[in-house]
Amino acid sequence: MENNYQLSRIHNYIHGLMSKEEMFQLEKEALEDPFLQDAIDGYRLQNGVDARQLSLLQQRLNRRVEQTIATRHAQYYSWQRLAIGAAAGVIFVTLLALLYFRHFNGKAERTTDVELSEPENTVSIEPLLDGGDASPREGWKTLEKYLNKEYKAVGSGEIIVTFTVSNDGSLADIEAEGRPERSLAEEAIRLLQSGPKWQGSKGRLKIIFPNRNHVEHGTIIKPPHCFGIEKG
Amino acid sequence: MNEKELLQHYKMTGDLAALGKLYSPYMSLLYGVCFKYLQDPDRSQDAVMQIFEELIEKLRHYQVDNFKSWLHVYSKNYCLMQLRKDKRTTHVDIEDNLYESEQKLHHADERKWEERDFEKLEGCMQTLNHEQQACVRLFYLEQKCYKDISDLTGYELNKVKSAIQNGKRNLKICMERKENGK
Repeated sequence: MENNYQLSRIHNYIHGLMSKEEMFQLEKEALEDPFLQDAIDGYRLQNGVDARQLSLLQQRLNRRVEQTIATRHAQYYSWQRLAIGAAAGVIFVTLLALLYFRHFNGKAERTTDVELSEPENTVSIEPLLDGGDASPREGWKTLEKYLNKEYKAVGSGEIIVTFTVSNDGSLADIEAEGRPERSLAEEAIRLLQSGPKWQGSKGRLKIIFPNRNHVEHGTIIKPPHCFGIEKG
Repeated sequence: MNEKELLQHYKMTGDLAALGKLYSPYMSLLYGVCFKYLQDPDRSQDAVMQIFEELIEKLRHYQVDNFKSWLHVYSKNYCLMQLRKDKRTTHVDIEDNLYESEQKLHHADERKWEERDFEKLEGCMQTLNHEQQACVRLFYLEQKCYKDISDLTGYELNKVKSAIQNGKRNLKICMERKENGK
């Protein structure tokens, strides 16, 4: 405010808008204050005070100050972001390292149990209705259980057999259709001859033998580890 | 915060807003000072901003007791340096600068005057040349403004001003001589 007061006095002084007493007062002050005297001399050379110029100058100063403050803030926030990023990076690397050591050190030996589904590894039967009316007295399930229990691995594949049912419930005239593997046909006939009793007169049946030589029922499978360092 | 506190605060923290507050009141005077030496509006504006840029560094390291005087001397030197760089003729009145320098030197020597000091002063007045004596009397004793003195004496305004400045300086020297000779 004092500044503006001085400026308006300088303006009035230069343009002769002051009383003689006011002029004398300003001149006396200027004799004691060389800063003021120089300013008066300058404005006199310029033929007065240009308020617009001074306003622009004030704006330049304000911008300069604001710019530095904004830069400082920006630097502060960018450092902050960098610090957070660095911390996140360290945590990420630490986690990776922990996972690595946990995975490969000491606890490498693992077992994975794989239960293979029943139908694919058991002897199954399929009664063919066009072959007759015979059926096991104790049901198809019991027959299937019997077959699975008594079956000796001689081969795998499908075989269709026809038979007649005797009065006592045992099977007679058991024959394999087509030209199946001999051992498989013999095994099928053996199983049916010594198997459970039947009812009805004759029948036709498809028996499917699994490949027991390769996949044992309920086998525990150890999958090979990707890095192959697992103990056998 | 007053000027001294702002100065201290800036020195401690480097807070540019504080320096802005300190500098802003002097900008219009500074512009006038720069115009006196550079005599170009754009250059004078740039000089005011450039001086501010230099203060950012200087004021953090220099011990400044009287900011206004220091700023005046600094800005004047800055403008003179600019002129020297341009290798242009300077428009500085050597008398003005002598006067101002001495005034700064003796500023602290102010003391209360006694009756005999006034007698000495009258004696010293007689030693001044006619122009200086007339202008100093009209200004200090009769409290006339420069324009009135110019009208009364027929001297130009600038001549009146420098006669008063030089007369005042010569009086001071004379008074000090008499003081030392006592």
